[in-house]
Amino acid sequence: MLNDVKVGLLGAKSSIKRGNKKTLAFIVFVLALIFVNLIFLPSMMGGLSGMFTDFMQYPYGDIVIEPSGDNTYINNADNVLQKARAVPDVTFATKRLDAGASIKYKQKVVGSSIIGVSPSEEYDVSRYPYIISEGEFLSDLSQDEIIIGAMLVEGYFGSEIYDNLGAVRVGSFVDVTYSNGVQRTYKVKGIMEGTWELVDLNALVHYKEIEEVYGLDESKATSIVIRVKNPDESAKVKEKIIAAGVKEPVFTNSEKSDAVMRQAMETLNLVNVISKYVSLIVGAALILIIVYINVLHRKKEIGILKAVGITPRSIVVSYAFISMFYVLMGVLAGLILYFLAMFYFTINPVVFYETIEIIPEIQVGLIIKSIFTMLIMSVIAGVLPAWRVSKESILEAIWGR
Amino acid sequence: MHEKTIIKIKNLKRHYKTGEIIVKALNGVSFEIKKGEFIAIMGASGSGKTTMLRILGLIDKPTKGEYIINNLNVVDLPEEERTYYRLTQLGYVFQDYALIKEMSAAENVYILSLMEGKTKEESISIAKEALEKVGLGDMLDRVPDQLSGGEKQRVAVARAIAKKPKILFGDEPCANLDTKTSEQVLEVLRELNQKYGQTIVMVTHEPWHTKYVSRVIELKDGLIVSDKRRGNLTKS
Repeated sequence: MLNDVKVGLLGAKSSIKRGNKKTLAFIVFVLALIFVNLIFLPSMMGGLSGMFTDFMQYPYGDIVIEPSGDNTYINNADNVLQKARAVPDVTFATKRLDAGASIKYKQKVVGSSIIGVSPSEEYDVSRYPYIISEGEFLSDLSQDEIIIGAMLVEGYFGSEIYDNLGAVRVGSFVDVTYSNGVQRTYKVKGIMEGTWELVDLNALVHYKEIEEVYGLDESKATSIVIRVKNPDESAKVKEKIIAAGVKEPVFTNSEKSDAVMRQAMETLNLVNVISKYVSLIVGAALILIIVYINVLHRKKEIGILKAVGITPRSIVVSYAFISMFYVLMGVLAGLILYFLAMFYFTINPVVFYETIEIIPEIQVGLIIKSIFTMLIMSVIAGVLPAWRVSKESILEAIWGR
Repeated sequence: MHEKTIIKIKNLKRHYKTGEIIVKALNGVSFEIKKGEFIAIMGASGSGKTTMLRILGLIDKPTKGEYIINNLNVVDLPEEERTYYRLTQLGYVFQDYALIKEMSAAENVYILSLMEGKTKEESISIAKEALEKVGLGDMLDRVPDQLSGGEKQRVAVARAIAKKPKILFGDEPCANLDTKTSEQVLEVLRELNQKYGQTIVMVTHEPWHTKYVSRVIELKDGLIVSDKRRGNLTKS
């Protein structure tokens, strides 16, 4: 076998060294494009997925505790909050109270979710305080103030798609009618813009406002939102929270994201998988055709090599080396193209939905997997035609039949 | 010089089927070849001379009959052993050089030594020696496109003799060459035969080539019609 490898290497080396350079460049270029296609789309999707995960931080933090069964509220919320805060890997936790309401400004009325938050705690738990595009975030004394989502305000991105409150601005007064019929008037303290419907169609008020409107005691919450030291270990922390005696359902951010985004990501993943397999099939077909034409062109030469005592195995090994060389060069050129594209799209992100920037994510594991896939594919596609011809009788090969 | 019989052929037949017609390329041929002989197999087109050489070179199999090399019946050897036998015991020169166009003259020759398991250094040294024997010691790095027809055929001869085969076969080795170049190649073959005692069996259709050989076997319709030795004429 070692002799077969030595002879195969010599055959491949001379074929590559003295073969047609233009053909080699063309093959490498096409294989580079196939390789880029294998890794580029998943990188963009990785960026998109990461962006969705970030968005899910607003309502769910890293971990969220929700009411059990059909309950509207978590009872003994302070007790649950205390248990969650006692878990060592939990950095911060806060409770929230959500309510349905309609908001009216002048003649315009929109339906919205009003989220009751503890303003000073939100700085450590969510990104709400950091996305105020006009005015200021709530303070612990802001009981008669409201933060309005940007899509509810005329002129902001997305407001044209949904019903909005017209020219409402910071300092305007809006009337809020809660689902139980209680009406309140709030001064707009700020406009928040997260470029995401789950954020920008909502409004924030002080936690105590919702308690008062609905006549709740201090120990009720619709969710308890938690941040952890290492978000990658949310699943482990979730188990610790359950172990600490929390009986209510506990979800990690990705579990909630999965539920919300599953369909969208599944569709995108399907497109990605189809695109990946089409690329691989095209790549394999290309190598197969190239090697097959090469082999047919050299059928007589192969017959002669066999006639003088070269084993069919070494002929096959030679073509396997040639295919592997094509693919390695293609992968190398593809990596250069890929990193150039990554560099470009990091500086100039793809703008999605006019304001959302998708920055591609380099996935090392995927790159390594794709290189191995291409190599395996090349060996199979290169070996098959060579193996077929090398098994033919010497005379048939020499006669070119 | 011609004492030991190295090839023995007995009632060799090779029939091809083309559609419904059976072509009897060889129809019961028997002869022996002794060590050191330089034989020309002659005959008109379709006489069976190339078929004979292919069977002798283990490239084709007979339909019937015996083929013994050094007391070993090689007819039923498995394909892998036939390949190994071709590599180590036989040399074959084709009429159209049959060189690998991307390999240099030296690489075309030493590929067989590598196949035999020799190191690259040993193989290069063997190739150099063989190319020097055919007068191409200064053209080791030239690729076939940089060689003339005669030079290419001499590289093919060097490839065949580098492994020091028991028998060297030539399938019309001068078919694509002009008279002057043909003479050069035939001189190389004669020198190999006379200086090194190389046994050579060559197919040719040119009568003037026979002046280089020691024996002429003539075929017609798949049968031997004459078998003549220089100065010692015999008829079959």
